[in-house]
Amino acid sequence: MTVAPAPEPAVGTAGTVASVVDLKVHFESKAGRVHAVDGVNFDIRDGETLGLVGETGCGKTVTARSFLRLVPMPPGIHAGGSVLFRPHVRCSHCSGSGCEECEGTGRQPVECTVCAGAGCAACDHSGFETIDLSHISERELRGIRGDRIAMIFQDPAKALNPALTVRDQIAEVFAQHRTSEVLERAALGTSRNPLLRRYVSQKSRLFEKALLAVPPLRSRRQRIEKVFDDMVAAALAETQIPNPSKVMQRYPHELSGGMKQRVMIAQALACNPDLLIADEPTTALDVTVQARIIELIKELKGVHKSAVLYISHDLSLVRRVCDRVAVMYAGRVVEIGPTEEIFANPLHPYTRGLIAAIPSRANDRGQLVAIRGTVPELIDPPPSCRFVQRCSFAVSICAQIDPELETGPDRHAVACFIHNPPEGAAEVPSFSKPTS
Amino acid sequence: MAVGTAPRTPAAPLAGALGTRLRRFTEIAREVLRNPTTLIGAALIVGMIGMAIFAPLLIEPNTPNPYQMPRDWGALNEPPGTPGHFLGTTQQGGDVLYGVIWGARTSLRLSIIVVSITVVIGLIVGSLAGFLGGKIDELLMRLVDVFLSIPELIFALAIAAVLGPSFGNIILALAAVFWVKYARIIRGQVIHIKQNEYVDAARVIGDSDLRIYMKDVLPNSITPVVVQATLDMGNVVLIGATLSFIGLAEAGLAEWGVLVSQGQAGISAGRWWASTFPGLMVFLWALAFNLVGDGLRDILDPRTESKR
Repeated sequence: MTVAPAPEPAVGTAGTVASVVDLKVHFESKAGRVHAVDGVNFDIRDGETLGLVGETGCGKTVTARSFLRLVPMPPGIHAGGSVLFRPHVRCSHCSGSGCEECEGTGRQPVECTVCAGAGCAACDHSGFETIDLSHISERELRGIRGDRIAMIFQDPAKALNPALTVRDQIAEVFAQHRTSEVLERAALGTSRNPLLRRYVSQKSRLFEKALLAVPPLRSRRQRIEKVFDDMVAAALAETQIPNPSKVMQRYPHELSGGMKQRVMIAQALACNPDLLIADEPTTALDVTVQARIIELIKELKGVHKSAVLYISHDLSLVRRVCDRVAVMYAGRVVEIGPTEEIFANPLHPYTRGLIAAIPSRANDRGQLVAIRGTVPELIDPPPSCRFVQRCSFAVSICAQIDPELETGPDRHAVACFIHNPPEGAAEVPSFSKPTS
Repeated sequence: MAVGTAPRTPAAPLAGALGTRLRRFTEIAREVLRNPTTLIGAALIVGMIGMAIFAPLLIEPNTPNPYQMPRDWGALNEPPGTPGHFLGTTQQGGDVLYGVIWGARTSLRLSIIVVSITVVIGLIVGSLAGFLGGKIDELLMRLVDVFLSIPELIFALAIAAVLGPSFGNIILALAAVFWVKYARIIRGQVIHIKQNEYVDAARVIGDSDLRIYMKDVLPNSITPVVVQATLDMGNVVLIGATLSFIGLAEAGLAEWGVLVSQGQAGISAGRWWASTFPGLMVFLWALAFNLVGDGLRDILDPRTESKR
């Protein structure tokens, strides 16, 4: 499989914040090699919300976790491809408020240091600084995690450390990535004192803390603590938590599910990341809270203008939240395009099945539509369309060749022979000819 | 652990982390004291540790070595109530009261040294095995299995016998036996805790492995160790007394096991006191720490929380 990403015509200066290029993540199991993610390609553009949908086990979470290398290896194996990320800085024309130059995103990419914007192999011919998240060192990656790319988890009850207060968990992000800002705000910007610097990045050992507890360092330490408190309170206030300075002294078990997710969001957005990965952020919440959290994410996206990768299996939710949608099936992206386009004119039989399965008033009472069959085993899959056993339109060629993701009209790409028949094929599948 | 509705005094801005920590500590302390059996245990512990700490004030220390029994050759086998020997004397003229009081000090020393050594070793071994996993885990845990396959007392006995009879060697022997339990507990906890999503969440905000271990894994793994350490404060003294009873401590040491062994010869002759009082102390010591350990387990284990 050599699938080149569909060539995208350049749109303005705002480009793509991240690209997944032929990503393959496999898992070693006793039964064989599970191809959980097997040649995934897609781009995330500046400031957009891209929905990644698919059923359980289709590889959407593994794809998302690959951005920050959170897939445990072993048993995971990085079998090929990469995740490219272009860090951004505040737009120099509008200083972050959004202008025509940056297409309203308030950010601009950094020029590639190798080719000075001419386009080279190091920057994937984009002319902008590009980081290969799959291959940089753990140390470099740590600088990006939480600062340029942040993530919200499915279950906020499990994603917060029960032994730390809310304040300590959010302050942690500032300690990791905003050391100099904290020092500056505490009016210690020029201080060369290594004790204070270490204190801000929370690396102080016990005896250092003892030193900092006595004058004259004591007052400076208090100033630093105050700055942390203020920054944490501001981050919490953004998520519309009532009384943030009180909430931050609490432990996670003292908060409700919705509050915990707000804390997670505050932590994720604390450093104003370029890309926010939201892994089913509302699945563990009840429906009323869910609606409010979705509104909050949309609203904060408007303020921060970060790009969002939104993972979900809930199509109606994705329709409300996302600008574009990528549909995954059995470790592949089978269709990608603008949300309205996907819902109005689904091209892949699987997408059609998914959309038909959304309960609606058009169906008879008590009737739920399902796609027949089950998801194929992902252990050493044969070179055929992954959907062939469940597809109502499959013909012999579908079981012999693997269709590639190819761009159709309106930059709406699909991996199916119905739309992109191979040359010289004897029989071509078509929606007008159901075969089973 | 009191629930969120408990009245909360507004913490001073600086008190921050320290204030919340203190709050949690007082919550636990309050819970401990609510349970009558734990309260009895705690009172016994305070009493016995007080006795150990203030031993020089309670009874004149023997010179030159206060841990050796003073000898009163003029008063052998005196019953309790003899003037100057409130609890009587042994067949070698040792004052039983002195042995009981200074024995508490010996026991406290023994249990604190052994428990702290074993907790530290267990913590290091268990954390390495659990956090790093793979071959290191395999290697360390097989080593632990070897230690676990030999009965505690026999193993301690063997070590103490090889090294020769002395109180220091009893400490060594007990430390060599007790650390494996902690290594196992910590390893299991670390493996369990590191699968939690908040560990991934910490990784996502850019924390290093060491930091994740210190801030996320260790604090959430430590509670069973606290419980086990409390229980072992009692168990160590029990096994330590057994070892000195069979003669692995220096003769004449002010230690409960040694006293019991000295007195046991006289029991059939009706001289019950030399064995009974130190024996009672061993019993109370082990009982007290077991009561408190059980109470702590009930409070710290979230699974039993709903019962209250």
